[in-house]
Amino acid sequence: MEGLAPIDGWALAAIIAKAAGYAAALVAMGGPLFLAAFRSAPDDVLRLARKLAVIAALIGLAVLALRFGIRAARISGMGPSGAIDAMMLSFVWDSPLGTAAIWRGAGALLIVAVLIEGTIGIVASLLGALLIATSYAFVGHSLGDPRWILAVLVVTHLLAAAFWVGALAPLHRSAANKDGAALLHRFGIIASGTVAVLVVVGVSFAWLMIGSFSGLFGTAYGWTLIVKICVVTGLLGLAAKNKLQLVPALAANKDDADGRLRRSIRMEVVAVALILLATATLTSITTPPVNL
Amino acid sequence: MKQIILALVTTLAIAPAALAHSKAETTTPANESTVEKVEVIELRFDDPMRVTAITLTGPDGDVEIMRETGLDPVTEFRAMPSAIMPAGVYSVDWRGLSADGHPMQGTFGFTVAD
Repeated sequence: MEGLAPIDGWALAAIIAKAAGYAAALVAMGGPLFLAAFRSAPDDVLRLARKLAVIAALIGLAVLALRFGIRAARISGMGPSGAIDAMMLSFVWDSPLGTAAIWRGAGALLIVAVLIEGTIGIVASLLGALLIATSYAFVGHSLGDPRWILAVLVVTHLLAAAFWVGALAPLHRSAANKDGAALLHRFGIIASGTVAVLVVVGVSFAWLMIGSFSGLFGTAYGWTLIVKICVVTGLLGLAAKNKLQLVPALAANKDDADGRLRRSIRMEVVAVALILLATATLTSITTPPVNL
Repeated sequence: MKQIILALVTTLAIAPAALAHSKAETTTPANESTVEKVEVIELRFDDPMRVTAITLTGPDGDVEIMRETGLDPVTEFRAMPSAIMPAGVYSVDWRGLSADGHPMQGTFGFTVAD
């Protein structure tokens, strides 16, 4: 298929590590966003959001180090020993991934400030989220043309995605709480705006990468994107069902409404995992049709 | 906050522009060609590529080659075989890092005939 790079074990490892990195980044960025939007949420929900953000930020750093090793091994042609080869690692450090790592590392450290209660903690960790999102504008397909527009689109896309993904665990907890429906209802209202932004900027970015309908249906990039869009459509369906059916049922204290809602949120997590794998595939082994 | 935004904007503005991926390379000798002798192995890219590893394999195993272009990112990579290459089928396998940070790899082959 046109625009598909060779796939070996290292490429697969790179895709899985990159997807894990995306997940960690989204949960880390999403924690401060959740705290900023729902400052009056119950303490146990806020505690969970804080804890997950910090754990995700630290996991994100570990995954970043792992990705450096995988990339060094891939470019060395030496197999596993290339992962710790100083010269190969220095090449990776000198590449855009090195620049991104500085921003992402600084962002992850600032995310830890989410543990500080009050405005300082929120502001510092929100800045951390912005640094992590911006780090993705320095690497990969977002370095194409028009550079500025792609950078703004990717940062906006990531922050909007993080607001959603980072909220899933706190919402799951909230669904089990007495009076949790109000928070879930409020999330539904805010998310209907942020998800619209997420989709519009995502489609805009994709269009700038593809440029034509033949690019969508005739290339590896296009087909991977179609898989991603299919799963995203399923995720949007789940989200709509939660907002329109399950949250109102929870508010009305209907039987097993909390159980059904929590199951549905867990399904959202599975869908997000699939989307991240599709995205990592898209950004690792396929070439955007505009560059073919 | 204004200073932070300004810093972000400045960094994005001064970061070197780089195209996503280097486009498909052309090579010397050309892929699947038959040549009488090989004086140079060349890889040409649309955007600078740091060729991090390259091997030339022939009928008697790996053939030693000497890089002319070193390890810096280049649009034209050159290497020379260190000895006369006997007739046979050869393949070149290379790895590299493109300007946007993607690990890249490629293979091409040619035949040396008397």
